[in-house]
Amino acid sequence: MPNDLSHLPPASADEIRLLVKRAGLDLSEELLQQFIVAWPEYEAMVRRIPRGWAYTDEPAHIFCPIRVGGG
Amino acid sequence: MDIPFLTVAELGRAYETKELSPVEVTRALLDRAATHDGKLHSFIRVTEDVALAEAKVAEAEIMAGKRRRPLHGIPYGLKDVIETAGITTTGHSKLRQDYVPREDAEIVRRLKAGGGVLLGKLATWEFANGGPSFDLPWPPARNPWDTNRLPGGSSSGPGAAVAAGFMPVAIGTDTGGSVRGPAAFCGLAGLKPTYGRVSRRGVFPNTFTMDHCGPLTRSAEDIALVMQVIAGHDPADPSTEDCPVPNYRAALDGGVKRLRLGLVEGWHEGPGVHPDLAPAIAVAVAVLRQFGATIEPVKLSSLRDYTDCKTTISLVELYTIHEPDLRTRPQDFGRILRNHILAGGLIRAEEYQAALRWRTALAKEQMAVFQRVDALITASARSIADIADPDRISHGIGPSITQPFSISGVPALAIPCGFSRAENMPLSLQIAAGPFAEATVLRIAHAYQQATDWHRRHPLLA
Repeated sequence: MPNDLSHLPPASADEIRLLVKRAGLDLSEELLQQFIVAWPEYEAMVRRIPRGWAYTDEPAHIFCPIRVGGG
Repeated sequence: MDIPFLTVAELGRAYETKELSPVEVTRALLDRAATHDGKLHSFIRVTEDVALAEAKVAEAEIMAGKRRRPLHGIPYGLKDVIETAGITTTGHSKLRQDYVPREDAEIVRRLKAGGGVLLGKLATWEFANGGPSFDLPWPPARNPWDTNRLPGGSSSGPGAAVAAGFMPVAIGTDTGGSVRGPAAFCGLAGLKPTYGRVSRRGVFPNTFTMDHCGPLTRSAEDIALVMQVIAGHDPADPSTEDCPVPNYRAALDGGVKRLRLGLVEGWHEGPGVHPDLAPAIAVAVAVLRQFGATIEPVKLSSLRDYTDCKTTISLVELYTIHEPDLRTRPQDFGRILRNHILAGGLIRAEEYQAALRWRTALAKEQMAVFQRVDALITASARSIADIADPDRISHGIGPSITQPFSISGVPALAIPCGFSRAENMPLSLQIAAGPFAEATVLRIAHAYQQATDWHRRHPLLA
């Protein structure tokens, strides 16, 4: 049965800064502050995603070679 | 004749009998927009010269007996993420405020071939995603039913423009509800077709795997007429399916007798839902039952689940689209869109993959239900239109009643089903059916609109 990560504590402001830096993004302090305010809502959402899917649980996007050529 | 509020079907009949002409109608609608849009901001750009030229051509052809049904000489507008050759296509963003495409989007090519008359490019949330935003080069559109309120989004301009009587049809895009939301908040019909039914080529992407183009009109009948023109395979858009386009207009008159409809439990009632909504849906369901439909309750996953899954996928795909600009000019995005894109950049690959697997499970849940019912019934929005408040920054990732059908990719239609008592704002019914069952959705909506007049009401502009 899939489970999620919603039990984890929210990231601190310093951790959010680190995440942004590791993503290679360079933001002004003003824009960074705006994002630090917004991120907890996104973080909570992502942590609610069920994990632990079976190998047979296919993702929604399946590669279809015939379509690559516009067929 | 009250030209601003005639439907596509009524305009077509008036052209047929020569009671009205395309030039006369186009001129009247341009004048109305010039008078009233200063309060509504539904247009980014009015294409008056193009409109009058196209109307003159359509008029000459109709007079010569060369009628191209059903959109010949019909004025329309385009959400400003849909590319138009030689006409600025801004995405309502500073980043593209001077961008002039060299080619038309496929949907524009089809509308032109059908004889449509382009009145202008319409407001949107930034790149069909970030909004409502007050920090962009153009103000957000307002709701014609109450200009202190917003028309919903992201097809905000299309919703406002059709409701205001500036045009009988506008083309929007719908990734998580961006056609159906504005249709709901503005008292219109709005269809998200099946994913792959209408080409997205030449439309600025938002979420590759959930983007749809769809029409907003006054009636289900008009949606059928527009779909006849815009639906179909596009070899250059790998998402489109090469399957026949049915005669949507002919399918409208089948009625609902013996149709099995599933009423979704829990989505349009409870905390956070406008108190007038559930009673309005109950009355609408009673109308459908009266005409012979059978109704059964249906239980699906929570809106929270659907929205978490959809938004996670969307944000990652959004980041891949905007990453170059985010790295080089982040300050040029509006705050809401910038935060969305940034969030997408922090979601890990395994989280995206988990959401994709969840999407399969959620879509399978719906497909199983469509084995036993012909369509699902719920609301199109859980509230009435929001007040326009520049100080309220909402990233809009709360539970959404439109996103379940974005996840499954099935056709879903919003139609008006009443008004809130205290605010006199539109309430809306949502009808969804299995993949490529647009005709079923439209048939149910048409039967409902034959028995009710909510779609005939329109706002009075001061």
